[in-house]
Formats: sequence, C-alpha cells, structure tokens
Amino acid sequence: MNNLLEVRNLTTHFHTQDGVVQAVNDVSFYVDVGETIALVGESGCGKTVSALSILRLIQEPPGKIKSGQILFHGADLLKLSNSEMQKIRGARISMIFQEPLTSLNPVLTIGLQLSEALEFHRNMSSQEARDESIRLLEAVGIPRAERRVKEYPHNFSGGMRQRVMIAMAISCHPNLIVADEPTTAVDVTVQAQLLALIKDISKRLNTSLILITHNLGIVARYAQRVYVMYGGRIVEHGSAKDVFHTPAHPYTIGLLSSVPRLDEPRKIRLSPITGQPPDLIFPEEGCAFRPRCNFIEGQCAQQAHSLVEISPGHFTACSLTQNGKVLWKKT
Amino acid sequence: MSTTTAEAETKTRPHHTLWGDAFIRLRRNKLAVSGAIIILIIAVAAIIVPWVSPYAYDKQDMSAILEGPSRDHPLGTDILGRDVMTRLIYGARTSLAVGLFTQFIVLIIGIPIGAFAGSLGGRADNLLMRFVDVMYAFPDILLIILLRSILGGSIYMLFLAIGLVAWVGVARLIRGQILSLKQRDFVVAARAAGASNLYRTTRLLIPNALGPIIVSVTFNVPRAIFMEAALSYIGIGVDPTIPSWGTMVRDGFDILFASPYVILFPAVAIAILMLSFTFLGDGLRDALDPRLRK
Amino acid sequence: MWLVVVLLVVSFLTFSLMHLVPGGPWDRDKQLSPQVIKNLNQKYGLDKPFMEQYARYMWGVLQGDLGVSYTRQDRGVTEILMEGLPKTATLGVLAFFLAMLIGIPLGMAAALRQNTAIDYASVLFSTIFASIPAFVLGILLMILFSVYLHWLPTGGWGQISNLIMPSFALAALPAAYTARITRASILEVSRQDYVRTARAKGIPQQVILLRHILRNALIPVLTITGPELAALVTGSFIIENLFSIPGVGRLFVQGVFQRDYGLIMGSILFYAFVIAIVNLVVDILYAAVDPRIRYD
Repeated sequence: MNNLLEVRNLTTHFHTQDGVVQAVNDVSFYVDVGETIALVGESGCGKTVSALSILRLIQEPPGKIKSGQILFHGADLLKLSNSEMQKIRGARISMIFQEPLTSLNPVLTIGLQLSEALEFHRNMSSQEARDESIRLLEAVGIPRAERRVKEYPHNFSGGMRQRVMIAMAISCHPNLIVADEPTTAVDVTVQAQLLALIKDISKRLNTSLILITHNLGIVARYAQRVYVMYGGRIVEHGSAKDVFHTPAHPYTIGLLSSVPRLDEPRKIRLSPITGQPPDLIFPEEGCAFRPRCNFIEGQCAQQAHSLVEISPGHFTACSLTQNGKVLWKKT
Repeated sequence: MSTTTAEAETKTRPHHTLWGDAFIRLRRNKLAVSGAIIILIIAVAAIIVPWVSPYAYDKQDMSAILEGPSRDHPLGTDILGRDVMTRLIYGARTSLAVGLFTQFIVLIIGIPIGAFAGSLGGRADNLLMRFVDVMYAFPDILLIILLRSILGGSIYMLFLAIGLVAWVGVARLIRGQILSLKQRDFVVAARAAGASNLYRTTRLLIPNALGPIIVSVTFNVPRAIFMEAALSYIGIGVDPTIPSWGTMVRDGFDILFASPYVILFPAVAIAILMLSFTFLGDGLRDALDPRLRK
Repeated sequence: MWLVVVLLVVSFLTFSLMHLVPGGPWDRDKQLSPQVIKNLNQKYGLDKPFMEQYARYMWGVLQGDLGVSYTRQDRGVTEILMEGLPKTATLGVLAFFLAMLIGIPLGMAAALRQNTAIDYASVLFSTIFASIPAFVLGILLMILFSVYLHWLPTGGWGQISNLIMPSFALAALPAAYTARITRASILEVSRQDYVRTARAKGIPQQVILLRHILRNALIPVLTITGPELAALVTGSFIIENLFSIPGVGRLFVQGVFQRDYGLIMGSILFYAFVIAIVNLVVDILYAAVDPRIRYD
C-alpha cells in the first residue's frame, strides 16, 4: 500500500481505579497523501485517544498503547525511540487541539511558542524563527503580526488563539495534520473561517488531514472519507458520500437524524439518540450499540464486532446491513 | 433501552454517598488510619489516667530523683522525683484540651462571621476581608502573647487567646466556600424556589462546607497544641504547676546534659501527636476532596 | 498604600491592647511609691490622654524613633532592636535559602520520579517535617549533636557553628512545605494542555521541563513564600529563645516578662513591617513571573 499513514489494529487502554477503560479497540484506518479523512463520533468514543496515539501523546500511566501498528511512510511509529519520535512530532505530523484557551502556555509569548518548534526542527536562529513566526501569523490571518508575537495568550481571543495553533501546526510543513475538534470551542461564525483556513492551507501544502469531530456538517463539507467510531471501535467507514447518503449503521443514522441539515429542503423532525454512551470498562456482549438501537434483532446479542464491505469501499459493523437489510431510505 | 444500561451500571459500579465514599477512601489510607489510632490511644490514656496511674502527676519522691527508665518508672523521673510517664499522659490532657477548646471557640466565632460575610456580601464582606488581611499581617504568636497578658494567666484564658487569633482562618474558609457554593446550581435552584437567605445559609451552604471545615479543624488542632507547648516552653503558657508538654520541655532544658531523656520524651510526644494529626488531616483532605472523585 | 494602612491598624491594635493590660509598666516586684509612679508617668508622657500618646508615638515612628525602653536605662528601642536585627535577619535569610535549596529540588525530584522510591521518600520526609514544630526539632537536634555527639554548641552567637542547628531547625518546616507544593504543582502543570501542545511540537523533554513546566509550576511555590517567610519570622522567635540567640525575638520575650511596653510595641511593629514588606515583594515577583497579572 502507498498510504501516508496507516493505523493497524490500534488498541489503547487506560488503567483507572475502577478498572481498565478500553478506550480504543482494534481500530484501523489510513490516510493518503493530500487526503482529508474524518473520525466522527460522540464524546468518549475513542476518536481523540486514537489521534493522541498516533503522536504517542498518551499519558503513560494510566494510558497504554496495548497493540497495533502505526505506519507512517511505511515505518512503525510505535517502534521509534523517544528522540526519533520527537523529530516526527511537530515536524512531520502536527496536531491542532480542541481547547485553544488552555493549549497555549500562559506565561510564554506567542512568538516564543511559535519559534521554538522552528528552532528545533528547522534549525533556525532565533532571529530567523522570529521572522518566520511573524510570516506564519500573517498567513493564518492575524493582523499586526509583528506586534502580536510579543504578546501573551491571554491577549488573544479564542478564535485568534486557534489561528495561532494552526500557525504552529503548519510551521514545519508537516505531511499530516491531526485536528482534534478544532472548532468546538469557538463561535459558530469563527468555525467556518477556521475550517476554511485549515482546508486551504492543507491543500496548498498538499498536507493530509485527519479531522476529528462530532459535527457531521463539517464532515460532509471537508472530508473525502469518513470513519464513524462508537465505543472505541470503528462501526462504519466509507466515502463521505456513501456514509451520508446510504448510512449503513444505526449509530450513523442516529447521528444524521440528530443534526439539522441545511442542504435538505424538507423539514425533518430531529430525533436524538437516546440512552447513555457505552461503558468502556465492562463492554456489552455483542453489538455495543444494541442498548440504544432502534432496529435491534435477535442476532445482535451474539454478533462479534467485524467490519464487512457492503459495497465497494463502504464498510459497516452492523450485522443487519451486512445481511442486506436497508435501514435508511433516502427522503 | 436506557434502563438496562442504568441497571448494568448499578451492578458493576456501586454508588456511594459523599461521606460513605470518603470514609472508604480514608480507611484505605494507612497513614491516616495510623494517625487516627495514635490520637485515639493518646486520648483514651489521657481520659483514664487519673484512675489507672499509680502516681499522682505532682507527687514528688525525693528518693528517686532523675532516675532513668525502670520498672517502677517506665520513662524515669524528673528533677523533683515525679514520674515522667504520668506527667506525660497528664500533659496529653492539657494538649488535647487546648486543641479541642480552642477549635470550639474558633468555630463559634468563625462560622457565623464567615457565613454571614459570604452570604450577605457587600460591605460586611469587604470589612471582614480587610480585617482578615490585617490579621494575617500580624504575627499570630505575638498577638497571642499580648492577649495573654491582658486576659490573665488561667488556662481558659489561654484557650480564649488562641481562639481569638485563629478564628479568622475559619471565617475566611467559610466565606470562600459559601461564595463558590452560591454559584452552584442547587443553591440557585433553591433561591429560585423562594428559599430564604437564612434557610439557604443554614440548610444548604453550611452542610456543604462541612468537609473543608473538618479538614481545617484537623489541621488547626495541632497548631493550637503547638502554640500551647511553645508558650509554656517560654514560660507564658499554662501555669507551671499544670503538667504540659511545653512546661516539661522547659523543665528538662535546664538539665539537658545531665538527663537528656527528661526533655526527649515530651519533645517526641509533641512530634508524634502533631504528626498523627497531620497524617489524619492529609487523609481527610484527600478523602473529602471531590475533585479526586472519579 | 495598603502597607501603610496595615501598619497603622497593627500599631493601633497593639497600642490599645497594651493599655488594656492590667497593671502598668511600673508594676514590679518591688512596689514603687505613688509619687515615683506619677513622676515616671509624667516623664514618659503616660499621663496624657490615650490618643495623644498614640499620636506622639506614631510621629516618632515616622522619624524612625520607636520610643524608649522602660527598663533599660532609657535606651532607645530603635537602638536596642538594631542590635538584635542582624542576628534575626541572618538566621531568617539563611533558613529561607536553606528551605528553598532543599525544598524545590526535593519536590522536583519527587514529581519527575513519580511513584518511585525517590518520590515516596520525599513525600514521607516532607510530611514528617511539615508537622514537627521548629522548637521540637531544635531540641531533638540539640540532644543528638550537643549532648551525645558534642559536635555543636547548644547556643550563643558569633561563630558559624552557632548557626547550623538553629537554621536547619528553622528551615525544616518551610523546606518540607516547599517540597510538597513543588511536587504537587509540577504534577498539576504536567497535566495541562499546553504541556501536551509542547510535546506535540516535538520539543525535547528537558526544554519542556525547564521552559513550559517549571516556570508555571513555581508560581504557586512563589505565592507560599510570603506566608512561609512570615512563619519563619514567628518561628525564629522561639528558636532564638531555645538557642540563646540575642535577636529581636528574644528581646520581645524579655520585653513581655519585664513589661517593657516600649520594647514590646517596637518589636511587634518590626515583625509586622517585615511581614508586610515580604508580602509586597512576593506580590511584585508574582506579577513579574505571571504575565496575566498586572498591577496598576
């Protein structure tokens, strides 16, 4: 295969007082060069842990990557030494975090936080790094950049801070950017601007993008392929078009019907997914979505988790759709 | 559907009340448990000592002066031939009395003032906080000494002097707790439902601030005990005829080279009692801190 | 400004409290005749109304004159305190630096080796020494190093050997406290999102520790140095008595026993002044370290 990044059978657990949280279980996905994929699911479904696992940023203890491979340009990141991994982080793979308010160090200037990666990865002098930081801030649309580099995070608004995070992420021209809910914490009006910015920059630099989100609207617009996660596993995977138009897992259907859709002329009644997210310490036997599923049948209690290709490139873990049942009728 | 999940959860993860949960966590903490046991042993010994000790604390035996530890006197005798062990346990009475009664005074003064400053806010609150600031600038042991010379030499006045200085800490704690609790939803809900100010303060706010109060008392008791010992050591604490660890240290200091154990035992006793309270206090704080709840 | 208010309130409180003490400054073992007392009161201005006495006193304080001692042949309190000051200051500053030099590295070592033997040893050390009062520790040190080993003198002033036990006895508690706070604070900061951001940028571990973690983690350590120094001041007062060091604390106790109002008043003002200054310096440092805080 010629993928930029391929995650194979990743399993990440957390050891807590209450037991072992199986946050990510046997998850596989890949990203091609220049491609944008989305990991979608509700809070606690394992999408953020998957992303942190790629960069080996899981706190250990309590966390631990139990098994799997993370192949980047064909080499397994999990086998690298810490110093080799350091050269990948920020330089080849970078990350944009969810919380712009807490993700920047409050006592260091924006300029310093931008230039430190440049100094380490691109061997710039501090003067060069400073000039480059100013250029980067301008590139992400921050006005008066030469003044702003001397300021501290608390002088910036949430949206501006997220722009700084984007500038940091692109500063060393990485091959892959992992964006973990980059727009959740900012105003709706700013969300679109930020996403357009990320998309625009990744296209220009031919950077691949993993977009982690619970917002299906974002997925439809920006991602080529989608992985839907539930309870630490991937339950559906396919092109954005397939997943949107012929969703093949009840959870995906639930997600779709709980999102207002502006691209549909008719007013469809929104229906939320009832029940609680699954217990990751004591997982259910059979299909994990069973307690919340509207289509449940007898076989669901026994069925082991497996992804089956139901049409070219479209995979689902639901045994009903695997057997040809159609759960979603296009309106 | 959702009920099955809820049932499954109650089966696998039993639910505890805050206090039950805290107690379980406290019991798991070995240091806290041993601290509590030592305090308990000292307290029981201090209570029953008049009935079980073969010696009176002030009984002098001129034929047995400054003896080392023996079968008759497990910890030896002091310069007046008094049994050190008996005096040590009577000293624990003084220490525990100081610890308890000062905290009593502290709570009686501190809780209402802190509670009303916190719930009324505004000018009353401002005034209290400024006063607290000034008190923090005042070296407390000096103030206690000063109060001591005004209030006179009885042990009750010593309680009062320490209590009068220490209450500001509790008042500030209560005020802070109440200010943060005020923002919490259940209090806002009670307010929306028309509960009176007094009701909210006494029924909702104070019970919820109880955890931090218990922790602060556990840390303040040894502080008061230390104050008494230090003052008695200097000679402005309890009356020299009352056995106290501080006066014993003072007596032992003069014969440090001749019979070092006379000073060693009370010094070690102070250290052990303070350590026990700290272990217990640390344990209580960890057990009651809801931020650590998973 | 606040400093001035605090000192005014403290001085007024002390002044009024001393006037409440039953028995005047001439209440000695040997009874003085009423005529003598009257003369003395007149001489020291004690026959004036209370507020006037206070105003006169504060006027003097503004000019650096803390009044006269009532028991030491009319020597000025300022002069007496100035003799004690270098001793108290030497002891306090020494103990403070000892506390920082022991406490911060100990807390760092514990945090960076969390859940190892180093961590447990450091936590045990800091719990024990955070709860043993300085004067008890001083006595234990004295028994060991003076009585049994004959290495160090039990008291006095003038030689380095006189300083060792008192400064360690005084430093132990703040050192333990500093170690606890440092450890907790580093662990707390290590969990922050911005540290994860720094790691995600591929910054080397040592740089993350020095630049991103320590700078933030030392802010709480700095904030407790104020109360810690204040505790040192009060602690030094007992330690000075224990180790016979003729510092301000010892003068104060002598003043209390001799009912020397001038001396009591002067030393309390001195302590309050030191504590207020320390808090002011800590506030300024705090603003220098944390850019979010600005004082106008």
